[in-house]
Amino acid sequence: MEPDLKTSVKGEILAVKDLPTLPHVLDEVTKLIENPETSSEAIAKVISTDQVLSAKVLKMVNSPIYGFPGRISSIQHALVLLGFNVIRGIIISTSVFDMMVQSMKGLWEHSLGCATACNIIARRAGFEDPEEYAVAGLLHDLGKVVTAVQLPDLHKTISDTVVAKNIPYYYAEKDVLGFGHDRINAWLARHWGLPPNIREAMARHHSPQLAEFYKPMSCVVHIGDFLVRLFEFGNGGDDHTAYLRPEALMELKFKMSDLDKVMDEMSDQLLEVSDLTL
Amino acid sequence: MTQTLEESLFQRKQTAFLLSPDKALAEMLQKLWSPDVLEFRVFENGGGAIEKMFNEPPDLLVVDNRLTDIAGREVANLVKSENVYRQLPVVMCVDPIDVETPWNWNKIEVDDFLVRPFNPSEVRDRVNLTLCRAMRALDANPLSKLPGNTSIIQKIQSLIDSDEDFALAYCDLDFFKSYNDKYGFSRGDEILMMSARLIVNTIRSYPGVLSFVGHVGGDDFVFILPPDKVEEACQRIIQSFDDIVPHFYDPADRKRGNITSVDREGNTKIFPLMAVSIAVVVNTEARIKHYGEVSSIAMGLKKKAKEDPKSSYVIDRRKG
Repeated sequence: MEPDLKTSVKGEILAVKDLPTLPHVLDEVTKLIENPETSSEAIAKVISTDQVLSAKVLKMVNSPIYGFPGRISSIQHALVLLGFNVIRGIIISTSVFDMMVQSMKGLWEHSLGCATACNIIARRAGFEDPEEYAVAGLLHDLGKVVTAVQLPDLHKTISDTVVAKNIPYYYAEKDVLGFGHDRINAWLARHWGLPPNIREAMARHHSPQLAEFYKPMSCVVHIGDFLVRLFEFGNGGDDHTAYLRPEALMELKFKMSDLDKVMDEMSDQLLEVSDLTL
Repeated sequence: MTQTLEESLFQRKQTAFLLSPDKALAEMLQKLWSPDVLEFRVFENGGGAIEKMFNEPPDLLVVDNRLTDIAGREVANLVKSENVYRQLPVVMCVDPIDVETPWNWNKIEVDDFLVRPFNPSEVRDRVNLTLCRAMRALDANPLSKLPGNTSIIQKIQSLIDSDEDFALAYCDLDFFKSYNDKYGFSRGDEILMMSARLIVNTIRSYPGVLSFVGHVGGDDFVFILPPDKVEEACQRIIQSFDDIVPHFYDPADRKRGNITSVDREGNTKIFPLMAVSIAVVVNTEARIKHYGEVSSIAMGLKKKAKEDPKSSYVIDRRKG
């Protein structure tokens, strides 16, 4: 491993100009936005299933140019403030993955499943604005997408290491790069000006006990990630079960029975949501 | 050029000063516009023009670098150095040799320049553009960049004159001052930028109809829509505002649903979260004849809307 790999990886990651997404979502959003009758709620619903479009929307609305950086954590609110013209612009300038990157589909489902789980968990914990927890859940693996796009060779090495050493993706990242996608998330979120709650949850979802300012959101995403893996909904890069930190359950004052109820709700909702994915 | 004022780009007759010894230039400029649209007053040297310019500023100054008594750039800087005259657009005419070495546009503040030999079509359009651009810049709200009072009044008056039905809504934010006092002006500006975006996007979502959004200043906004769309627009603006504004408060204040601040007399007071009040004047069957009527009706409605500390709208539907 080169001594300055971290610096060069960080430089590459932050230099990302064009993040592609999956064809089916882009098609759907394009269709919706071409219809003048479509409401912003309808568009928000579809964009909320796609981590790349959601990240782009949040990045833009939280840009200093709009005048209120770091305030908006909800896709619905972002759309109201961006307006149809700007959203159309984002969609027009978003390309799709070529057929080669099929593993991305699994990652998309995993992220959507995590978003669904986080919404349910946040509501059960009695938190306000559960949609914002869903957004954090949706974006928790964005670092993996950006690595795949910007550093395809390293991405392949990581995937090969997962198979060869039979370890989770996160450990394979640490093996190959020296750091994980949670660190990459932290760079991206800061660079893009994402709101601080989402930024911390993205950076701390593997170690929620270290979260300082937005511990509840970090814990919710941690649990959401764990649960969606249990359901084997989508693919986070490996087929291992994650370690569930007891601190996360304590922070939300969850008992096992709460987890059970969450999982029951998840079974129903994941079924509905899987209709959205191809 | 036989275009009338109505056909032109301008709302009223424009006046211009040309400071130049070049008779051909003067002749060309005077021919390009009908004097009802844009009228040039020609001065062969700079000195004679300056006092007149200060007393009765024209809408445009065209100054020739060939002036013999005073340098063209000096005239330009005289104008731009006073805040009272600063918005007067200045166009400099030069010879090719003049611009062989780059000019320091930070030191010589003109708005555009034209290089000999002059192409009349280009001159006409560049001057038109300079005038239009100056009007836009002058009237735009410095924070939101939305059109300001002058544009708003012009728009309303032109709708009245053309007998078009319209609804005019005045929005302002209740308890904005207390938010500013507690959180500071920078965060207050965030609220205004957010409100501007919110209103613009809501109004723009009605395609193909008459619409307009203006920012009078501070927390006062204005929008225009056809009478059959305005009520729904008010409801949507209120809903979005009420949904989004809590996120601009600190978590503790947001949870409580109020902030503790100091009022004008220095007393500690509790203020609710900000709300939006909208007063709507509807003009149908050409009952309103002048802009002044619109604003006076609106002021009465606004008082009523502000009686409710929550976001609300009041629509005036009196008939002729």
